[in-house]
Amino acid sequence: MSFINNNWWILPLIVTIFSGILCPAMGTVLITHKRLLQVNLISHCVLPGLALAYAFEINPSIGGVVSGLLGSVVAESLTNRKSENYEAVMNTILAGMLGFGVILIPLLGIRIDLETVLFGDLFVANFVDLLETIIAFSVFMLLMAFGYEKVVYVGLDPEGASASGINVSFLNLALSFTTALVIVSSMQAVGVILVIALLSTPTLLGLNKAHSLRIAMIRSSFFGLCISLLGFILSIVFNLSPGPAISVICVASLLIPKLRK
Amino acid sequence: MSLLVAENLTYSYAKNVSPAITKVSLKIEPGTLTALVGPNGAGKSTLLKILQGQCIPDNGQIKIDGEKLIRQRSQVALMPQRSSMNWKFPITVEKLVSLGQIKYSKSKSNSPFQIKALLANPNAWINKCCELEATMQRVGIANIANRRLDSLSGGQQQRALLAKTLMSPAKIYLLDEPCAALDPPAKDDFLKIVRQLADAGLSLMVSSHDWGTSLNSYDQVIVLDKAVLASGSPDSIKDKLEDINISSIEDNDCCD
Repeated sequence: MSFINNNWWILPLIVTIFSGILCPAMGTVLITHKRLLQVNLISHCVLPGLALAYAFEINPSIGGVVSGLLGSVVAESLTNRKSENYEAVMNTILAGMLGFGVILIPLLGIRIDLETVLFGDLFVANFVDLLETIIAFSVFMLLMAFGYEKVVYVGLDPEGASASGINVSFLNLALSFTTALVIVSSMQAVGVILVIALLSTPTLLGLNKAHSLRIAMIRSSFFGLCISLLGFILSIVFNLSPGPAISVICVASLLIPKLRK
Repeated sequence: MSLLVAENLTYSYAKNVSPAITKVSLKIEPGTLTALVGPNGAGKSTLLKILQGQCIPDNGQIKIDGEKLIRQRSQVALMPQRSSMNWKFPITVEKLVSLGQIKYSKSKSNSPFQIKALLANPNAWINKCCELEATMQRVGIANIANRRLDSLSGGQQQRALLAKTLMSPAKIYLLDEPCAALDPPAKDDFLKIVRQLADAGLSLMVSSHDWGTSLNSYDQVIVLDKAVLASGSPDSIKDKLEDINISSIEDNDCCD
C-alpha cells in the first residue's frame, strides 16, 4: 500500500488499463448492434443523476447509472430504430437531459466540477474509481460469459433471435445497463463526453476482417489499451490533460489503416 | 392429413386500420413446395409471420399436424427477408448456420421427427440434414464456411441464410422473399435448391412478388393480395390468373 501511496501514477495507470480494455470491448458490441447513438445518449443522460446524487449525498455513480439507464429506456419507449424519427428523438432527449442536469446544479445548490465530469481527470483517480471500473468490467465479463451467443444472435438477426425464444427487449436493457456502468466508470479517466472516442475508435480498428465478435472485441481492446497507455504517457511527459490527449490519439489512430495501404 | 391448415386468418396492425390480410385460408401438404405470390404490400410477409407465430391473428386459426400452432410453434421455421439481417456483423458462414440450431424457447422440439423422416429418405445427404456440414454442403456453401458474411455475394448470403433456417428442426420452412435482389442465375440456383429440398421430403413455402416462367417448379401456388385470390397447381393458377387483375405482378423470370 505504501508503494501505491508513494507512487501517485500507479492507481491512474491501473484505471487506464481497465478502461482501455473495457471501453473498446463494450464499444464493439454496441457498434455491431448499431447502438452507438444510444451510447451518446446515455453519456449525456448521466448528468442529472450525478447532480441529484450529490444533492442527496449518495454515491454519484449510482445516480449516473440510474439516470443514464432511465434516459435510454425513455428514448426507446418513444421511438424505435426503424422509425424515421429515431435520430431526431434520440438527439432531443440527449440535449434535454444534459440541459436538465445543468439546470439542476445551481437549483440544488451543489458544486460539481463539470469539466472533470465531461472530460475526466485521470491523474486524481482513487480507489473508489478503480473499484467502479472493476465492477463495470466484471458485469461486462458476466454478460459475455452467460449471454455471448444471445448477444451475437440479436446483433445479427433480431427477429430470428426473438423467434428462437430470446427476450430481445431484456437483452437490450441489459446492454443499456452495462453501457451506463461502463460510461460512469470511465468518467474519471476520460469523462462522459470523451468516452465516446474510446468506445468507438479502437472498435473501428478491431472490427476490420475479424471473423467473430469475440475476436473483434479482443482486437479492439488491444488497440484501446495501446491508445490509452500512449495517451497516459504523453500526458505525463508533456503535462497534458489525459482525457483529451487519449481522444486526440484516437482520432490520429484512424490514420493507421490509411498508412497500411 | 395436411401438415398445415390455416382458416379464415384476418390480421390488422392497428385498430381502425384496414386489415393487412382478410379471411386467408390455405393448406400445405407434407413434402411440397408452395409459392406465395402477390404484389408488394399484399400481406405476404405478414401471413408468413402469422404462420410462424410471431403475429397473432385477430381471427382464424392455424393447425400443424392437427394441433394448434401455439403448441407447435417450433415446428415452423421462418427465413427472414434480407433487410432484417445485419450483414455487416462479424461472423463466419459456419457460425451463422449453427445459430439455426439454437432454441431458447421451452416449446416442444421435434428433432426426433426430423431425424426419423430424413433417415427414411434414400438420399444420402439428407440423412445428415440436421448436421451442420451436410446442410452447408447441400446448399452449396461448404467451401465458404470460414468466410465472413459480408465478403459473400448476395446469392451466397441467401444460401447461408437458407442453411441456417434448415438447421432448425422444423416441419415447415417459410422463406420470405429469398430471391429478392438476386440476379437471374443466382435466383435459378436458389430455386433449384429449394425444389431438391422439397423432393427430399421437406415442406417449404416461398414468398415472392415476382411472377415468372419457373412457376412450374412449384407443387402449389397461392396468389395473395390481402385475401387469397387463387390457389392450386401452377397450371390451374395460370388459367385463373387471366381473370384476375393484379397489375403489380410482373412477368419477371425465375424464382417465383
